[in-house]
Amino acid sequence: MVEKGDTQFLRRALFLGVLQLVLIAILLGRMYYLQIFEGSYYHLLAEGNRIATRPLLPLRGQMYDRNGILLAQNETSFRLVLLTDKKDEIEETLETLSSLIMLSPEEKEEILKTTQKKRGLDSLIIKDNLSWHEVSAIELHAADLPGISVEVGSMRKYPENFRGAHLMGYVAAPSEKEQEGDPMLAIPGLKVGKVGLEKFFEARLRGIPGHSAFEVNARRKIVRELDQVASVPGGDIQLTLDARLQGYAQEVLSAYESASAVVIDIRNGDVLALVSHPSFDPNLFPQGISRKDWHELRDNPYVPLTNKAISGLFPPGSTIKLFVALAALQSGVIDKTSTVYCPGYIYVGDHKFHCWRKEGHGTVNVSRALSESCDVFFYEVAKKVGIERLAALFQDVGIGEGGGLEGFPHCKKGLVPTKKWKKEKKNAKWTVSDTIQTCIGQGYMLTTPLELAVAIARLVGRKRLTPRLEGQDTPFFPNMEYDAKHLDLILEVMNATSNTPAGTAFRWRIPIEGKEMGGKTGTSQVRRITMQQRQAGQTKTTHLPWKYREHGLFLGYAPVHAPRYAVVVIVEHAGGASLAVQAARDILLKAQLFETENAL
Amino acid sequence: MKIDVLPVLFQKLARINWGIFCLVLLISAIGWGVLISAGGGDIHLWAFKQIIRFGVGVLIMFALALTDLRWWLHFSYIFYGLSLLLLWGVEFSGLIGMGAQRWLDLYIIQVQPSELMKIALVMALARYFHSQPFPIPFYKLFVPFFLIMAPVIPVLRQPDLGTAMILVMVGGTLLFLAGVSLWLFAVALIGASAISPILWSFLHEYQKKRILTFFDPSQDSLSAGYHITQSKIALGSGGLWGKGYMQGTQASLNFLPAKQTDFIFTLLCEEWGFMGGAFLLSLYLFLMVMCFRIILTSQNTFGRFVAAGMTMTFFLYVFINIAMVMGLLPVVGVPLPLVSYGGTAMLTLLMGMGFLLNVSLHRTLKIPRLSIGMF
Repeated sequence: MVEKGDTQFLRRALFLGVLQLVLIAILLGRMYYLQIFEGSYYHLLAEGNRIATRPLLPLRGQMYDRNGILLAQNETSFRLVLLTDKKDEIEETLETLSSLIMLSPEEKEEILKTTQKKRGLDSLIIKDNLSWHEVSAIELHAADLPGISVEVGSMRKYPENFRGAHLMGYVAAPSEKEQEGDPMLAIPGLKVGKVGLEKFFEARLRGIPGHSAFEVNARRKIVRELDQVASVPGGDIQLTLDARLQGYAQEVLSAYESASAVVIDIRNGDVLALVSHPSFDPNLFPQGISRKDWHELRDNPYVPLTNKAISGLFPPGSTIKLFVALAALQSGVIDKTSTVYCPGYIYVGDHKFHCWRKEGHGTVNVSRALSESCDVFFYEVAKKVGIERLAALFQDVGIGEGGGLEGFPHCKKGLVPTKKWKKEKKNAKWTVSDTIQTCIGQGYMLTTPLELAVAIARLVGRKRLTPRLEGQDTPFFPNMEYDAKHLDLILEVMNATSNTPAGTAFRWRIPIEGKEMGGKTGTSQVRRITMQQRQAGQTKTTHLPWKYREHGLFLGYAPVHAPRYAVVVIVEHAGGASLAVQAARDILLKAQLFETENAL
Repeated sequence: MKIDVLPVLFQKLARINWGIFCLVLLISAIGWGVLISAGGGDIHLWAFKQIIRFGVGVLIMFALALTDLRWWLHFSYIFYGLSLLLLWGVEFSGLIGMGAQRWLDLYIIQVQPSELMKIALVMALARYFHSQPFPIPFYKLFVPFFLIMAPVIPVLRQPDLGTAMILVMVGGTLLFLAGVSLWLFAVALIGASAISPILWSFLHEYQKKRILTFFDPSQDSLSAGYHITQSKIALGSGGLWGKGYMQGTQASLNFLPAKQTDFIFTLLCEEWGFMGGAFLLSLYLFLMVMCFRIILTSQNTFGRFVAAGMTMTFFLYVFINIAMVMGLLPVVGVPLPLVSYGGTAMLTLLMGMGFLLNVSLHRTLKIPRLSIGMF
């Protein structure tokens, strides 16, 4: 058997053996590379395969009114969650789903788009707020719906509906822009306060999300729960608001096209009601408002989405005379006996300024000038006091400050014009005409209902009050630095305005002893009355198109003997103050009736 | 004469290469352990059946080991011819199974002629080389070429890429051992790559896809590439010591495809880590070393070639399977010898082992070279 081929065979067999050795070494090397060198990388991938985390939404804090009535609550809801990222599987699942629940083609497309956009997505809410019928249909077909599960969640609900909707605000899914700053907001299903108190108290209401980690199989079905970090619910908040008064005020205002009202407790600054009309249903928003509803609200000429009580800017009209009178008295320009003769107009340079009463008031003192709202008296007085001292007092009572609700969304600041302001903004010199227009609350001057409410509360309460939305203690407010006898005089006039037959608000007084109100009416022009109209006797604007009519204002308080409630009502384009007075009367009476009811 | 048969058999049994048997048993036992894990702890799902099959396979192995090697030399061409007939038979009467016509139903058992062919080809080539001078002259290579291609063509048509690969490579190995000039191998390699575009067009869509995704698994991470990607994740995540027995998340959560068959090595590596994989690999290596000892110590040409063919077949199974699950080769459906669940490949491999033991038993036997013309 020893042939010459024998050695060659042995050589080649040996070569084969070595080749096999090398090949096995390559396998070993590859194994080493995958398991040791890249091991931690593949470990991560395996964990990613295995573990799906799902955020646990915190329960949002609820809001109550001062008497414990729920204003913003959480209702149990069921939502459909998708836990997969396999595209073909999603399509199939959605197909099956659409036979069980209402799912429009656009919604399906949107879901597909979202799943593609977000890589490594863990869970996606397909539909919120499922009905019982839908829940049972899905549970029944669970086997055909890989990656789908029904989760119990909560849905924000506003039981008071449109009543006080502006103040409450609402929650909705955060916008992409909002999500940028805060990764927590990317959690599917998390809602954030968009406006109103929901936004104002967002940080306290939201709570802290938790998460649970699940082991899932290749079909993305949950095998078991691995770990859970519970969410921390947001804090509940008891508001100073009186839901019944708020609701009542809303209904009172709903008699008009567009109006707003604020009620503040003079003793402690509690905001009892803050109403803007027309209103909207905040319950439309948490589930995502429909396009149609949104357009309807947005395109409504009476801007129902705007909270006019805090962001409506109005010329204060004659109501500002209260503060002009106080400034005049404080500065010593007049005293209670000083008189001015009103012929119905005055001239400043070539310009003729009219009193609202064409024939004039004759000789008037400050009391009569206030109660009958004589313009000429204030023209003369304001000229002497000067804009700087007037502006200082306006600012002192809170006008132009924004109303003191620091950080409240969309809270606007009024405008108190000064020489400096005019120089900066208009690049023009302050004129006497500017002072004259300002002293009757026209011209450049603008204020919000909330600011006016603070001003009247400070005037009547004689304390530097700031309004508050929560809190039960009695806060300390420093006294206003005005002479008591001047304040007495102004309050007396306000009392007379509605409680003496000559007063402008006498017709709508509260004729119940101990509950009487005091106040000051005002109208503010939206458009100047032209000379021709004046000569034609048209000093009233009721015949004009709605949007050119003057606003009706009323600043009031009650009861006169021990003031507790300060109220401001502005009825836009009312053509006169009477509607505002009536609304304020109703609100003040109701507030006092609720008070006696509560005391029983 | 007849009285001598039994004592001779016992004598032979005592001389059998028990070392190889022990290694085969050890590797198979590891396989049973992994199969229990693959079944989620359920022994009856896969492991039990596998043990029974192994028992039957080992009996066949011993039976083959104890036969006379010369008998096989005589009948090798007939064996080859029958296998080839069966192989072509499935072309016409084969059952559709696993997307490929690989099975022939013999009413009692399902036989895969392509598996028989792996043994028969080795036998036929061994016999041919046994009868030829050393090194074999070029003009005498047409017969082995025909012997190899005759089964490869129907196997490719089935289509069974793995088996075709093994047949060609085992045949090539035996040609190499027969002393065929290295130049010829070079020419053949160049020729093969030249006609590969033509071969490509004969491939089925799913085979093309497998080969394409092999080059870039991430391209298609949800279907064809998904398997290899998940296999790499499972294997890699095992780390040095593994996740622990029955703790493989990729396998138990069904991310790993065919975990009890083609991808069982991945499961082993996920649960036992690099150490477990390297241990099994070294057992295979050890087995190969013992097989090579048989090749080298056999003193008859037929025995040498049979042993070399069987060794190479076994090795190719190991290499292709492990390289495939680690993403070094396309997924061609080759099981891991003695470990993967399934009877057909195990039967082939144990038969191969039987012949190796047979050669080992008859290593000192001198078989004169045949010199009957071409054959």
